[in-house]
Amino acid sequence: MKNKLMHLSNETMNVGFVKKVEALSGSSVRRCFQCGKCSAGCPMSSFMEHPPNRVVRLLQLGQGQRVLAGRSIWYCASCETCTTRCPNKVDLAAIMDALRKLSWDADGPSKESYVQLANRLFIENIRTYGRQYELRLGAIFNMKSGQFLKDLMLGPKLLSKGKLKMFHSKNRNINDIEGIFKRIEEMRKKGEAL
Amino acid sequence: MTSGKKRLSYSYYPGCSLHASGREYDISTRALFKALNVGLKEVPDWFCCGATPAHNVDELLSLSLCAKNLSLAEEVEGDLAVACAACFSRLKTTQHHLREDDTKRKQVEIAIDGPAALGKPVKHILEILAREYGLAKLEENIKKPLLGLKVASYYGCLLTRPPGVPELDDCEDPSIMEDILRALGAEPVKWSHRMECCGANFTLSRPGVVLKLSNAILESARLAGADCIMVACPLCHGNLDIRQKEIKEMYGANSSLIGNIFGSDLQQSGDTERRDLPIFYITQLAALAMGVASESLGFESVIIDPKPLLKDKQLL
Repeated sequence: MKNKLMHLSNETMNVGFVKKVEALSGSSVRRCFQCGKCSAGCPMSSFMEHPPNRVVRLLQLGQGQRVLAGRSIWYCASCETCTTRCPNKVDLAAIMDALRKLSWDADGPSKESYVQLANRLFIENIRTYGRQYELRLGAIFNMKSGQFLKDLMLGPKLLSKGKLKMFHSKNRNINDIEGIFKRIEEMRKKGEAL
Repeated sequence: MTSGKKRLSYSYYPGCSLHASGREYDISTRALFKALNVGLKEVPDWFCCGATPAHNVDELLSLSLCAKNLSLAEEVEGDLAVACAACFSRLKTTQHHLREDDTKRKQVEIAIDGPAALGKPVKHILEILAREYGLAKLEENIKKPLLGLKVASYYGCLLTRPPGVPELDDCEDPSIMEDILRALGAEPVKWSHRMECCGANFTLSRPGVVLKLSNAILESARLAGADCIMVACPLCHGNLDIRQKEIKEMYGANSSLIGNIFGSDLQQSGDTERRDLPIFYITQLAALAMGVASESLGFESVIIDPKPLLKDKQLL
């Protein structure tokens, strides 16, 4: 693999970004001493261009933008193996959450759009119905991602097995959910929450 | 809550999957609790817990959704029983964070427009069965021991990790599933992949991830000589059961991938035909052992038919 030299200077290091990550995640980034246990145990590292320990190293070096530009954070399965095994109590799973949130808020420069789309639709479902509506989730995902034939044979099978419901009723207290979304948006507008 | 004199009784948060793709988990949980004479009352009008997608991109939303559900649960008496590993993990995580972090708790209280109710213990049905109902009593009430059934108990990610949050069992080397299986008369096998990730919700966005990770889990269980796999999570069940045929087509017998993961062991074991592995929910196996009729355990909803195996072991 060709390695580009990384030039570190005040101009290329974004320390403010690391502080944001630490504030959001409630975990230190600096405590990591690069033992690599997180990457060794990570079930998803083979799908990532930067395995977990390198994500932390890039953050330590103020290279948050490199992390956000890649797909690593979107290929984290939130299995918590890294957090469980870290000898320095770096909560890497929470750091991954924080990085995704920062990427999400900035309308992500990431290469990985399918996972983001799935997350967006999942959260939309909560806001609209109060609960998941799996058939809609799958159908709209296929439409919006342009994969019209994805799992085409699976849908009818699951419907016939009763595992998918054709119709979905709204939760009776759906306004409570809308209230939660609205109040969180307001808090963020006023700068009262990250 | 004390067992013995007073009847055990719980409030119940089924979660979205148990009303849809994991319906047999809900059906068998209710059937099992009825057979054990343990009360189970569903929390009215509960919401989605947000699962992985919500905390993935918006922790405050995730905590608020769970806090709202916890306050809804206050309306029903009894500790909160949860069957889904993801809902369990999110509810426990919310309690943990809001107890430790005042800033987060205040923000959540603004979001849900009310106080955060953190007092009600949240319990996974595994701990209810093993510790509150109790293994000894479970053993006492068996009608049909699961003799000769070799089971790979699969924990996955969220039942035990991270440290200090689910508080269900040891993070890396739990035994609660095996303990229950032994009490039911079954034989838990020792195997390598019981704590590995199945690919979880990548089943929607990147199913290739699920095929690869779940394949390794299925192969490991076969290699250990398991007849079936037992799970306590609807997402794990979906990935291992619904996608099992696809995994078989994709990776096939004697593919180089098997060689990569397991060396030559698999070839030596002669298990190259990739026999189907039925995936059971803990509640289905426990209810069977308690003598509940198989017709009322939702077996018609699963893809890999467990009946041939159950007949073979004279459990049907």
